Amino acid sequence: MTLATGFRRTGRAVLSALALLCLLAIAVLVRDVVKELKFLSSASSDNVHWTLSQAEVEFLEFRNAVNWARTAPETPLSSVVVEFDVFYSRTSILANGALYAALREDPAFDAPLTEVRDRLNAMIPLIDGPREELRAGLDDLAAQAEEMRVLVRKIATTGLQHFALESDELRTSVAITLLRLAVLTGLLLLALAAMLMHARRTAQQTERRGKELAIAYARLNTILDTSLDAVVVTDTDGRIQNFNPAAERIFGCRLKDVRGKRVGDVIVPDHLRDAHEAGMARFAADGDHRVIGQGRVKLEAMRSNGEVFPVELAIETAHAGDEQLMVAFLRDISHRVAAENELVQARDKALAGEQAKAEFLAMMTHEIRTPLNGILGNLSLMEDTKLGSDQARYMRNMKISGELLMRHVDAVLDVARFESGADKAQEDVTHLGHLFQDIVDSQTSAAHAHGTALQWGWVGAPEDWVEVDSSRLQQILLNLVGNAIKFTREGRISIEAEVIEQGEPAEIEIRVSDTGSGIAEGDLARIFEDFQTVSHQVSDSVGGTGFGLGIVRRFVQAMGGEIGVESTVGEGSTFWLRIPVLPVESPTEDSGVGPESEAPSDLEILLVEDNDINMQLAYEVLVGMGHHVTEARDGQEALDIATKRPFDLILMDIRMPVMDGLTATKMIREGDGPNWDAPIVAFSANVLPEARNRFAAAGMSDFLGKPLQRTELAQIIVRFCAGRERRVKLEGATPLLVEKKESPMEKLRARYMSETSSLFEWLAGLPEDTHAIADRAHQIAGSAAAFGQPGVREALLLVEQAAEAGDREDLVIAIIEAQAAWKAAPEPTLVG
Amino acid sequence: MHSLTQHLARAAGLLLLLGATSVAAAELEQPTGPVLMTISGEIENTNGDGTAAFDLEMLRALGATEITTETIWTPGTITFTGVELKTLLDHVGATGTEIDATAVNDYTVVIPVSDAVEDGPIVAYEMDGSLMSRRDKGPLWLIYPYSSNAEYRTEVIYSRSIWQLDRLAIE
Repeated sequence: MTLATGFRRTGRAVLSALALLCLLAIAVLVRDVVKELKFLSSASSDNVHWTLSQAEVEFLEFRNAVNWARTAPETPLSSVVVEFDVFYSRTSILANGALYAALREDPAFDAPLTEVRDRLNAMIPLIDGPREELRAGLDDLAAQAEEMRVLVRKIATTGLQHFALESDELRTSVAITLLRLAVLTGLLLLALAAMLMHARRTAQQTERRGKELAIAYARLNTILDTSLDAVVVTDTDGRIQNFNPAAERIFGCRLKDVRGKRVGDVIVPDHLRDAHEAGMARFAADGDHRVIGQGRVKLEAMRSNGEVFPVELAIETAHAGDEQLMVAFLRDISHRVAAENELVQARDKALAGEQAKAEFLAMMTHEIRTPLNGILGNLSLMEDTKLGSDQARYMRNMKISGELLMRHVDAVLDVARFESGADKAQEDVTHLGHLFQDIVDSQTSAAHAHGTALQWGWVGAPEDWVEVDSSRLQQILLNLVGNAIKFTREGRISIEAEVIEQGEPAEIEIRVSDTGSGIAEGDLARIFEDFQTVSHQVSDSVGGTGFGLGIVRRFVQAMGGEIGVESTVGEGSTFWLRIPVLPVESPTEDSGVGPESEAPSDLEILLVEDNDINMQLAYEVLVGMGHHVTEARDGQEALDIATKRPFDLILMDIRMPVMDGLTATKMIREGDGPNWDAPIVAFSANVLPEARNRFAAAGMSDFLGKPLQRTELAQIIVRFCAGRERRVKLEGATPLLVEKKESPMEKLRARYMSETSSLFEWLAGLPEDTHAIADRAHQIAGSAAAFGQPGVREALLLVEQAAEAGDREDLVIAIIEAQAAWKAAPEPTLVG
Repeated sequence: MHSLTQHLARAAGLLLLLGATSVAAAELEQPTGPVLMTISGEIENTNGDGTAAFDLEMLRALGATEITTETIWTPGTITFTGVELKTLLDHVGATGTEIDATAVNDYTVVIPVSDAVEDGPIVAYEMDGSLMSRRDKGPLWLIYPYSSNAEYRTEVIYSRSIWQLDRLAIE
């Protein structure tokens, strides 16, 4: 295109130059022709031919006059004189006239002329002299004239020849000039023709382009007219030039009404107008722009009725000829913004709902746990009372149900805690073998109850000491094993651990396989979802909250691992999980001195609790540990007591009537009573982290979860009271006498003794039910180790195995050996 | 055509005769020196037998006009002095349309009376302040102002520029 244009331009220039040259040449030639014509018309010339001939004629007349005078002596001589003068005049013209200057250059002309002139001059004395002398000299004159005749002839012929040639040359020159003129005129015509063609082509192109432009313009107009976005065109002063139909629709005003108005007055809302004007001024001043060319910008615009609505705006500048235009594309996004707002609101509501749900769950579980603790605690206490055998059975059933309910509540709480982020990974140094063994130990009886064997082992080299979040791992495995037990009857459950990747961290795969009912393939994908339970024909009793595997998946993922399952219906399932663990050196054996042994006793403790049962449970534990306990039923009562006398430790429930724990704590802290700096430990079932933060903010020293755990309580006591100066000086030698009760440890020991004795009594009768034998033996075996009777444990495990194997002979032998071990065993003592 | 001209000429002559009888034609003075110019034909004022003869003094008396010009017959620029043809014709009361101008050797050219205008041709008797001899194209030479007017630089005008002029016949 550019090249073609270039050629065309060059061609045009060449043609123009050619035409100009032709014109110039023609002008020059025309001038020549005119000059020559003028020369021809005005010329210089008298009729030279005539003049030359006339010279000869006049000469001849002169000669005739002379000759006549000679023959007729009487005639006057005046005619001789006249004819002489006439001829003389003629020769002087030839000798002096400008016309003959060129001719005189020719010696053939000049020489005879000069001679004729010389002779004439020589005659003058005679001519002008007395007539007698003239008459006497006539013969001489005649003779001379005879001689001159040839010369005159020569003058005439030479001159004629010369002028004939000159005339020829002139004709030729005119002819050449005319020819040149013709050629140049032809060229000029050609050039003009070429230019004409060029002009025609240009005109056609222009016409074509005009049409194309018209089409493009029409197309553009159509686009603008049908655009859904408003298109507003303004000049750089912001005066509206164009306003497409969409703009008319959106802004509610007609183009004819707004054309030429300032755009700022038409569509910019009041609160943005100053900024708009400033922007326009900035652009006008130095071309600075912030919005132009920045793509879509969200702003607000105004309709003709004053309504302000959100728009998406894009401004570009364009040049139309010399004029700079601004083109603004505006999209009414009020619907979209409204929709977005609705979405945001909906999301916020949903989030709030989720939050409310989580809070509700946490609250509910808390509200359920508190009374449930009461029930379970009281069941424990009731077990120690004297019960009929039916009552004991009912009791056990209640306890089992209660504990199951507690597990469900705990599962829900686990989810709530996990979702709320309260549950942070806590890695500690753990012996994996011990961990597996503990799980097997704790679950064996349940497995045996279904006739299922449970065992664990390493595949490949063991990696026992590792750093891992052991409590979670324990929960995970308990859950998986628990499920396996539920769905397996008369089968086998194995826990296999294998290091699949060495290193730091190493990766361990733990597989929990059962030979149970298996899971249908369709269910495999969703069993790790929350609230998913899989129906089983095997066990009607099996069911649950559906939280188990959901929690497991969360825990595994939180530990940076993965979990999966493979299963075949009717053959069993294998749950596998791979988690990273950090192998560590086995720690040196501790002295084994537990915190409890360091814990000071004899502390003065204020126990604030509105729930009677919880109060009683905690009281039992604390007194059992050798402390002095003062009870308060609510915050107000606690505050009253706390202002009167000092305590070493205050355990404060949070939710209480009259005054809650937080308020009471605040008032104790802010008051000037004896306990303003006493350790006050929150005593609550609400274990969510924000709750703990709230406790700390109220001035509480620490947190103790419900139900009360001896070890946790001991740790708290050690942390706040060990090695300190006792805050409470016992007055005199009379400590506050508390009713001496049998310690819970003693109770447990007594229970162990009675249960073991009854087991052996029962075994002595060789009962038929081997399952029951395995179950009960397993149960006592688990306790035996805790009471420092490992021999009894080993023996009972053999009984269990024999019972499971169903070999009566082995069973009898095992029972006998167990009885021997029991007799040989030392006194049972609780090991820390 | 020829006969028509003759008729017209005769009619004109008749008219002139009638005019001469009614209005006495002016009598020109008689030349005292050699006659340089004789005007005949359709003229009203005469000093002889139907002709008007002029000597140099009479010509001078009509008023001198100078023409400075180049000519094709002479070298350089020359100042001619003479009487305007128009003045001369008016003086003799010429009424014709053509002048037959004849030189001493009877060379004749026809000059239209319309040539006789102010600032037009003169009947020159001096060239550069000197009287012209017959040998030097004198004594009278009809000179047009060639240099000052391009219209006079044509062959026709050149042919009318008769020298050694001594007779004019008005027709």
